[in-house]
Amino acid sequence: AAAMAFTLYALLQAALLFVNAIAVLHEERFLRNVGWGTEQGIGGFGEEPGIKAQLMNLIRSVRTVMRVPLIAVNSITIVLLLLFG
Amino acid sequence: MADPHQLFDDTSATAPGRGYAAQQSPPVGYPAQGSFLAEPMSSFAMTYGSTLASHGKEIVDKNIDRFIPVTKLKYYFAVDTVYVGKKLGLLLFPFMHQDWQVRYQQDTPVAPRFDINAPDLYIPVMAFITYILVAGLALGTQNRFSPDILGLQASSALAWLIVEVLAILLSLYLVTVNTDLTTIDLVAFSGYKYVGMIVGIVSGLLFGKTGYYLLLSWCCLSIFVFMIRTLRLKILSEAAAEGVLVRGAKNQLRMYLTMAIAALQPLFMYWLTYHLVR
Repeated sequence: AAAMAFTLYALLQAALLFVNAIAVLHEERFLRNVGWGTEQGIGGFGEEPGIKAQLMNLIRSVRTVMRVPLIAVNSITIVLLLLFG
Repeated sequence: MADPHQLFDDTSATAPGRGYAAQQSPPVGYPAQGSFLAEPMSSFAMTYGSTLASHGKEIVDKNIDRFIPVTKLKYYFAVDTVYVGKKLGLLLFPFMHQDWQVRYQQDTPVAPRFDINAPDLYIPVMAFITYILVAGLALGTQNRFSPDILGLQASSALAWLIVEVLAILLSLYLVTVNTDLTTIDLVAFSGYKYVGMIVGIVSGLLFGKTGYYLLLSWCCLSIFVFMIRTLRLKILSEAAAEGVLVRGAKNQLRMYLTMAIAALQPLFMYWLTYHLVR
């Protein structure tokens, strides 16, 4: 019954933390060393991209799109958590 | 034969177009129920109020389509009793059904009431609500019930549903499947398992743990087969869906994906119900 405590609020928290985690992956220092850099993902034009290329694309898109909204959402969350615990 | 493009039967008794054209003339038919209503200022206020209301309704109607795809949602609720009955039977016994292909009418899928293979949202929504109520019933018989548990169950099941749909969307994106499965389709397919869950919980209430396990395994098996047969046509390429063994890493990957999605259903069915049956 412990799984029953999985509320929508917990889902929101998990989602926010997850997006934050993707946002802090540093291009130069980390991703390139693992082989997940953005320049290494570009394959040929005719082929369908594989899973790894799709994943790298996804990471890069999430980072680009969510950078500014994350600042706002994080600030609001910090303020709310400070006020209401 | 009714026109398949028409989703719902037209039951409007009044002629269309009467609603907002009358906003210029003051509302008629207000009996003078007191001196308050007879004063000119209050009748002016009523006219102004009704004008404002109809203006607001127009603006909402114009903009609602941007946030919630209302017309698309209507398609999923265009069901009738025969469809619901047949679909429930199909969900619980999908083994005899032969043709799983959704019929199309000039590029748009036929409404659910005309094709049993089309996904709908009526059954998932009703099944979800029934599941919450049956869960409350089950907890009540074990003296574990309190009103806030209902809300907790509801939000928990909803959260798991969202997680499942997001996981399926992510995996579909990663495998670059060119499919016409919309998000709402996925929500509908993920919601079909609640029917099996309800059957499991009710049998657990009536026949104890053995009844629960028996019927739940049966429902798990049928939802597994149902999902595989339905998703196979949508995710796999044409040739592979016909049953011809098409070699190639891409089709294999898609088959694994279909099986993974189908295997998620029994997992969730057990996960969300085992704590309700003692």
